[in-house]
Amino acid sequence: MIAQRLPSLIEDLRRAVGSDGVLANRADLLVYECDGFVIEKSSPDVVVFPRSTADVAAVVRLANEYDVPCLPRGAGTSLAGGCLPVGGGIVVALTRMKRILEIDLRNRYALVEPGVVNVWLTQALKGTGFHYAPDPSSQGACTIGGNLATNSGGPHTLKYGVTVNHVLGLEAVLADGSIVEIGGPAEDAPGLDLTGVLVGSEGTLAIATKIWVRLTRDPQGYRTMLGVFESVDDATTSISEIIAAGIVPAALEMMDQGILVALEEAFQFGFPLDAQAILLIEVDGLEAGLDEQRDRIAEICQRCHAREVRQAVDAAERQKLWKCRKQAFGAVGRLSPSYCTQDGVVPRTKLPHMLRRIYEIGGKHGVRIVNVFHAGDGNLHPIVLFDERNPDEIRRVLAASGEILDECIACGGSVTGEHGIGVEKLEFMRKLFTPDDLAVMERLRHAFNPVGRLSPHKMLPTAGACGIEQRAPGRRAAL
Amino acid sequence: MPTDVAHTLPLDDTLTPVAEDELARVVRECARDRRAVYPLGGQTSLDVGLPARRRGLGLSLAGMNNIVDYPARDMTITVEAGLRVADLADKLAAENQWLPIDIPEASQATIGGAIASNASGPRRYAHGTIRDYVIGIRAVDGRGTAFQAGGRVVKNVAGYDFCKLLCGSFGTLAVITQVTLKIKPRPPASAWAWCELPSLEAADKLLATLTTSATTPTAIELLTGPPPDEEGPLASVAPARLLIGYEGTAAEVAWQLEQIQMAGRAEGVNYQSTGETATVQRVWSRLTEFSVPDAEGVAQTSALAIIKASVLSSMITNLIRSIQELAPTAAILAHAGSGIVTVRLSETPLGGLAAAIVRHWQPAARAARGNLVLLAARDTGELTRQVVWGMPQDDARLQLAVKQQFDPHGILNPGRFVYGSA
Repeated sequence: MIAQRLPSLIEDLRRAVGSDGVLANRADLLVYECDGFVIEKSSPDVVVFPRSTADVAAVVRLANEYDVPCLPRGAGTSLAGGCLPVGGGIVVALTRMKRILEIDLRNRYALVEPGVVNVWLTQALKGTGFHYAPDPSSQGACTIGGNLATNSGGPHTLKYGVTVNHVLGLEAVLADGSIVEIGGPAEDAPGLDLTGVLVGSEGTLAIATKIWVRLTRDPQGYRTMLGVFESVDDATTSISEIIAAGIVPAALEMMDQGILVALEEAFQFGFPLDAQAILLIEVDGLEAGLDEQRDRIAEICQRCHAREVRQAVDAAERQKLWKCRKQAFGAVGRLSPSYCTQDGVVPRTKLPHMLRRIYEIGGKHGVRIVNVFHAGDGNLHPIVLFDERNPDEIRRVLAASGEILDECIACGGSVTGEHGIGVEKLEFMRKLFTPDDLAVMERLRHAFNPVGRLSPHKMLPTAGACGIEQRAPGRRAAL
Repeated sequence: MPTDVAHTLPLDDTLTPVAEDELARVVRECARDRRAVYPLGGQTSLDVGLPARRRGLGLSLAGMNNIVDYPARDMTITVEAGLRVADLADKLAAENQWLPIDIPEASQATIGGAIASNASGPRRYAHGTIRDYVIGIRAVDGRGTAFQAGGRVVKNVAGYDFCKLLCGSFGTLAVITQVTLKIKPRPPASAWAWCELPSLEAADKLLATLTTSATTPTAIELLTGPPPDEEGPLASVAPARLLIGYEGTAAEVAWQLEQIQMAGRAEGVNYQSTGETATVQRVWSRLTEFSVPDAEGVAQTSALAIIKASVLSSMITNLIRSIQELAPTAAILAHAGSGIVTVRLSETPLGGLAAAIVRHWQPAARAARGNLVLLAARDTGELTRQVVWGMPQDDARLQLAVKQQFDPHGILNPGRFVYGSA
């Protein structure tokens, strides 16, 4: 933005949301240069922390008045650069809008502000017999507003569906600063399902300020199992066979030996380190049906040459297993200084082929790849390990990552199952969609966000994505 | 039975393309000539919406009814939009799979039409609506541009989710040509438990307890007024009847029936139950067909009007009472767990249909945090936008903006949906 007008914008923003709700000095802004995708960095001109819908509307109106970009941000855990403030402007950090406004069990919904952290809602529901089903691995930090923007998944979305299946409606501030209610706590509002297209729109259509989410009954019981395999092929074949047998586990996750070593070091669960792959399989529901499902799954795994299928003995062990799984990315720091992960999806029957290709591609480019992913959905998360001080390695990592995603497309899949396009995967949109497809998407954006005020240069490569050039892959591993 | 298309839509002609490019070419020509296009599936929902006034072209999807790809082991299927719902169901059943959405008149209705009209029924309580199953879509917009969104995998966040946007859009944004659906394994067992209740108050009290039942119902249905069947579980004429559907393995269903009967005894409610296949299927079918204007069974007559309200589920008995005040003979079915209330009127309500809807029932639905729309009426003379679709929603301006982007010349199913004149 034009530097001369910045002090005046900051002053106006302070008037709108209070002085304690505006960050504008260089050191403070550093934090907001990127999200979980750290390759690209771009500083916002100013960060604001609205406390109400009216605050958000005032901020968007100022963005229009000063003709600067405006980008909503939750916890900044996005892995695809959705929160990268391309072109600077105003970052609207929604973390102070963190109230759970209503919980209505009879009608199975909650009304929350966008800054509510995912796990807070489930904690608030403890003991009621209900929970909020989408459970991304970052649920301890990520916000429901951010989940809405990226249509987040998580391990248990295999049975329960992703965020869009659990959002009933929202209140939002539009690109012109007006406030609108879309959908609501009752189902089937007449007219177009704009809620359905707003979920997963990566902040490019509107800024959600209140969200009605569906609550889900807690299952009566669980059976959580570990299938131990001596080859990755046997494990991936088991996944495909379980799905093909018509069993819908609540979760079905795979971890290969590479990641198991790191997990064992971090959590000392007692994983067999000589196993090539482990499946974490959970079924839930009525007790009356669980043993039968467990036995069928165990039988399938054994038929696929599992060395062992063991069941979590109690709730504590189940929780520990899930903790290991959900914090797996954190443990990668034990394997290498940096990593990048991809989010491709393939049909479940293609998993054995795809895993073989991932290891081949890693070998071909001389990079190490470990895998921990939502196997039941066919949603891969190959983690490519590297040291970002080695420029040659970085080139090879980029080449391997691109080849993996190309292979996903060739298998009839997608380049992102839950992380989003953001800026990271913009160029892949042209491989997935025709110019006509993208033109229709562009026109939808125009209906909501005609001048590109909100989250410019995201999601669509046609949206004037100027010069986002990927120079280096991935992010520093968490320490 | 489908409504006679000639009486419902002012068609000059009907074309039946057999491929998407051919269909797109037709729409492009119509866009050029500003000619109205009425997409036609199984023609089972032509009553929905404002009466069509503009003459135009019928665009039938009957020639596009192929199964494109059915990788059963991946639990997905890709089909052309003109495939009949019953044919889809047969294909899936052969692999012991199903699309758990209740679609009326399945032998006639097409999957594209079911998506465009957001068809649903009792099972939505457990299984959601059709938007939860469409993972990929191809369509032709009002410019004649063929486009796709989503894909063939069950999890995918690349690009805007037009799969959801086109559900329930009644052909006003684009003509759906092909869809990929996520499907589910078919449960082996199905049963109903039901009870008769002396009043709506008693029904409300019982419904509240079901919120935290140890069982996991597939459907929770509340009936009042003339019964939708002459025999079996639906034949009762008690002031209120509650039916609970259970599906799953035989052991799960048996346990749940036992459990709900035990819970009922503790509350002084006597549940009957049946797992007898023919009876169970007949109940699912009658409840699914309830919204069809000339459905068999209900009050032994075809309906004068069908109304649908969607409200908070805790408010359905309030809404039913306000309907009964003006229409004491109405047959009413509520998908109670989902807050969806369908009303079959066979007599004109006190004060006239339009006035009853606009002055009494729509405000009652709003007070229950929801909406009320008219699905079908024998006399279409007094229908206005508000009578049919209710007061404009808060996001009406956005809806129109989206419509104008997809169909800038306003040729797709014009004048019938929520946009007012568009």
